[in-house]
Amino acid sequence: MAMLDFEKKYRVRGGTLLGGDLFDFWVGPFYVGLFGVLTAFFAILGTALLVYGAAIGPTWNLWRINVAPPDLSYGLALAPMAEGGLWQVITVCATGAFVTWALREVEISRKLGMGLHVPFAFSFAILAFVTLNIIRPVLLGAWGHGFPYGILSHLDWVSNVGYQYLHFHYNPAHMLAITFFFTTCLALALHGGLVLSATNPAKGEPVKLAEHENSVFRDTVGYSVGPLGIHRVGLFLPLAAVFFSAVCIVISGPFWTRGWPEWWTWWLDLPIWS
Amino acid sequence: MFKPEYQNIFTQVQVHGPADLGVETETGVWERGNQTWTSYWMGKIGDAQIGPLYLGSLGVASIMCGVTWFVMVGLNMLAQVGWDPIEFIRQLFWLSLDPPAPKYGLSFPPMAEGGWYLLSSSFLVVAVMLWWARVYTRAKAHGMGTHVAWAFASAIWLFLVLGLIRPVLMGSWSEAVPYGIFSHLDWTAAFSIRYGNLFYNPFHMLSIAFLYGSALLFAMHAGTILAVSRYGGEREIEQIVDRGTASERAALFWRWTMGFNATMESIHRWAWWFAVFTTLTGGIGILLSGTVVDNWYLWGVKHGNAPPYPDVFGGTVDPMSSGAAQ
Amino acid sequence: MKYILLVAIPYVFVLGLAAFSDVEVPPIDSEQVGFRGTGMVEVSNPRIEAKLAEANQPPDELGSVEPGGDLAKDIYENVQVLGDLTDDEFNHFMLGVTTWVAPEEGCGYCHNEENFASDEKYTKIVSRRMMQMTQTINKEYTDHVGAVGVNCYTCHRGNHVPEYVWTNEDYHPQADKGFAASRNGQNLAVDVNGHTSLPYNAMTQLLTSPDPQIRVAADRALPTRAGGQTIQLTESTYSLMINMSEGLGVSCNFCHNSRAFSDWSQSSDKRVKAFHGINMVQHLNAEYLDPLASALPENRLGPNGDAPKAMCKTCHQGINRPMYGWEALTDHPKALVAQ
Repeated sequence: MAMLDFEKKYRVRGGTLLGGDLFDFWVGPFYVGLFGVLTAFFAILGTALLVYGAAIGPTWNLWRINVAPPDLSYGLALAPMAEGGLWQVITVCATGAFVTWALREVEISRKLGMGLHVPFAFSFAILAFVTLNIIRPVLLGAWGHGFPYGILSHLDWVSNVGYQYLHFHYNPAHMLAITFFFTTCLALALHGGLVLSATNPAKGEPVKLAEHENSVFRDTVGYSVGPLGIHRVGLFLPLAAVFFSAVCIVISGPFWTRGWPEWWTWWLDLPIWS
Repeated sequence: MFKPEYQNIFTQVQVHGPADLGVETETGVWERGNQTWTSYWMGKIGDAQIGPLYLGSLGVASIMCGVTWFVMVGLNMLAQVGWDPIEFIRQLFWLSLDPPAPKYGLSFPPMAEGGWYLLSSSFLVVAVMLWWARVYTRAKAHGMGTHVAWAFASAIWLFLVLGLIRPVLMGSWSEAVPYGIFSHLDWTAAFSIRYGNLFYNPFHMLSIAFLYGSALLFAMHAGTILAVSRYGGEREIEQIVDRGTASERAALFWRWTMGFNATMESIHRWAWWFAVFTTLTGGIGILLSGTVVDNWYLWGVKHGNAPPYPDVFGGTVDPMSSGAAQ
Repeated sequence: MKYILLVAIPYVFVLGLAAFSDVEVPPIDSEQVGFRGTGMVEVSNPRIEAKLAEANQPPDELGSVEPGGDLAKDIYENVQVLGDLTDDEFNHFMLGVTTWVAPEEGCGYCHNEENFASDEKYTKIVSRRMMQMTQTINKEYTDHVGAVGVNCYTCHRGNHVPEYVWTNEDYHPQADKGFAASRNGQNLAVDVNGHTSLPYNAMTQLLTSPDPQIRVAADRALPTRAGGQTIQLTESTYSLMINMSEGLGVSCNFCHNSRAFSDWSQSSDKRVKAFHGINMVQHLNAEYLDPLASALPENRLGPNGDAPKAMCKTCHQGINRPMYGWEALTDHPKALVAQ
């Protein structure tokens, strides 16, 4: 089939959250489960609707395809399909697909006797999407505030929403999020590099041990977080990045309407130095 | 079972043994120290041992240059608030040491007009290169591969593009990035405004894809390892040379989820490449702006990227082009 | 249980910071400017807008006067600008000027009340020039002020000096005199640069003469000799744009689609209005306001000895149409428009 040589013994029944044995099987390498069926449904429907959205649009160019949310004037109502309604249905499909994917990951983790860290982490990304296209539009009173589904068009949205606040870089949560993103990239390079440097040592050398990993880091920066610690840090950093990204966008509009540089005047005007 | 304390996020019981003074390596003039101490709070997340540090000629030289840069920037900032330490703290995020004005081109300007910027930059570049050499030689001294150093080289590529290579190609130090919290963000925004919206720069797109991909990968990998830490998954080297149930479950999780998987070693290759490509492509994107492409939006229009939007404004026209200006 | 603290403490800190830094809460108004999904939207807080509205009420109507009567130039001496008004119109206008600029002091703010014709007070010299300026605005810049026009109140709002004017500032740090790096005209958070580190002298650079280069992006994809501006000049333009946005109480989307700031076909018609507004301000500052430095006493000048100048906020004061489009010419049509 599509199994790895050690896989068979792990393919046991159980771990499901819902649906019991009904969908507890594999298709090729993919585990199905009830949530696999649901996720396939949402993903296929959503993708088909995106293709339909491209078909009723002016272009098939992958970069230019754009499925846009409704005008703000529709508020939180359902808009006509060709006037943003399609976007709304696709958003439901996307959310459904992501949530069921996460639940499927829970089932797979349980079946394999693993902790639930992966679906927990994924839920942060889902939270970010839901914040952008559901929570923030609801707080602002119109679905039209969501970002459009299109490769370049969603970037145009990012640009314009940023400039709504004159200079989005000054958003403090945005600064935090970016710091966490860049630190994640740094930490990933270090961790990947370190493990590879131990298992692919200099020519003629034997594979190195954890002691070497610790030693080279202590030599270089005076501290080594260790093999377990790096994975705790490596989970925290990207989740913090995504969390603060969600925060930075939900506060822009619902909780702040002025330019972001102006927010910093609270610091400049503190009584201690006035 | 779902209580936080069982998720292996914080160490529940810390065991502090004798200090690990590291693997023996050849020493130079400077030796590895033997000072260590224990941090209970660090021990909640990772190793509790702080130190020993290896000084090394390269390291000492690097720190000296780096501190010189830092102090030059800091003192100039302090001077700009009239040496008032309170105003320094108050205005810290706005303060900056700026590159010279465009009129000076690549020449060395007066100290007060960008000379300090260039001088401090030279110390920073040297500090960074020396640190790279330190990272490289420490790996070599341990008989390890130099993967970390080469990843660092990718980051240095971006750093050099921003501060040295691109300004030289543009013929002006004024194009370099100022040393200041808000000022470097202003530079970023101005760069995008000047070059016609950097979102349309394909290397910018690649860099962001790799940045977000790095976040995705680290969350995936770290989550997976923590999820199989009950089987010793975090002992990655051991698992690489002698695959155990931790690696097997980790691989199968992803195989069953998305149809394919990495191995305990190859995931670190994915990780390394994603992180390295972030700054590699980013540096290329910056380098091409102004030298090869002057307006990324227009470049995108030319190459069929730009989505068409219906005109909702009824055809606004540039008053200068119609000769209607006064 | 103690893990709750790990979440609770940062949460409380953030909430405290939010409250302290004056964050807002829904409901928030939003207005769509561009095509749906482009993100070209203006958000505004009804509570803030209400306060603005309170502060931007037009003055009481002054009514009109019957036409006919002798001309001011025949009745009064030293009437240089308003000579063609009738006596009634002339005095009615004087009433207006007093109400709009010096409601407490009345006529004596500009005139020697024993000799109204005398030019001994600098305020009379300055207001004469201001009247000429106002007439020029209402005649030659209808592409910006439209039929609504401006009068003294638009800027002065009952004050001797308009609240929102600007002068050349160095924010003189000691460092600029010595060996240490100068501020480079930026890296200081003030009102006029929107509390950023962008240049604070953008208006000196870009609003004091008719032809400075505000446009910065290249108009071709590939580099040409003409090309665009330097990054540092781009920062000046950006600073000016932030200043304009805050002056009008709008964001960049009011005029631009930021995916292509320079592209006029993707910009709203407001951008054309703004173009003419910028031209107008440059002209007014160069021809009328800067030259007034020789007429103003030292306490009215800026730290560098220059006269106060205009920017968007001077008239607009945070609303995109001054006083919501109050028609300023109704009561004094002849006095306010150059003939």
